[in-house]
Amino acid sequence: MTDANPIYSPFFGVMGAASAIIFSALGAAYGTAKSGTVMAGIIAIYGLVIAVLIAGAVDEPSKYPLYKGFIHLGAGLAVGFSGLAAGFAIGIVGDAGVRGTAQQPRLFVGMILILIFAEVLGLYGLIVAIYLYTK
Amino acid sequence: MGKKSLNKPTSSQRTTAKKDYNSFKVVLFYCLLIIILPVITFFTVKNAICDSLLNMNPISSNISSAMCAVIALHVALGIYIYRAYFAAEDSADDQADVDKKQD
Repeated sequence: MTDANPIYSPFFGVMGAASAIIFSALGAAYGTAKSGTVMAGIIAIYGLVIAVLIAGAVDEPSKYPLYKGFIHLGAGLAVGFSGLAAGFAIGIVGDAGVRGTAQQPRLFVGMILILIFAEVLGLYGLIVAIYLYTK
Repeated sequence: MGKKSLNKPTSSQRTTAKKDYNSFKVVLFYCLLIIILPVITFFTVKNAICDSLLNMNPISSNISSAMCAVIALHVALGIYIYRAYFAAEDSADDQADVDKKQD
């Protein structure tokens, strides 16, 4: 065990993978429960993609430096918390939008636009996470 | 006699049930498409294109297949929203026709 490859370096990578899927699933669950739109489920898939990528890269400590662990933790937190925020936004907007669309069908386009703007926040997190992962 | 006529669905009930079934089929299809398509795209692109055809290293093959999966997901979502928007418009027109006929 060297300073660069301590026994606990995979801990950070595993925590990154776990936080990627946990927080994005939390956001997606809130969004789906509140609004019932399919857009909220997409957020969980972003988290799933990053969690699968990180889980594939985690290795035993001798082949997995602490640096990589930090990078993977950062990637997981980036997609996780952006997914949580996007899921909350989709939940609140979708709840109001679905009620509004029932009264006035012309609101559908506006609702979809705002849902896409909320969704893009999660996509930004995914982009940053992929960029970090390739470091 | 009375019971028999109660149990028989009227023609309007039957058309509503048929409409519900059709819209349920469309929604189910697109939901399954949105769930399954990215997973299939990820593993197909990774195994069939990046690893065997282009011989990329693991990191770049993972990245490119993840991007393809996300793009496929958004294409499916776009088709679903397009379909939902235009189907809703069509059914609203149908409803307007029905209302006119009733007047």
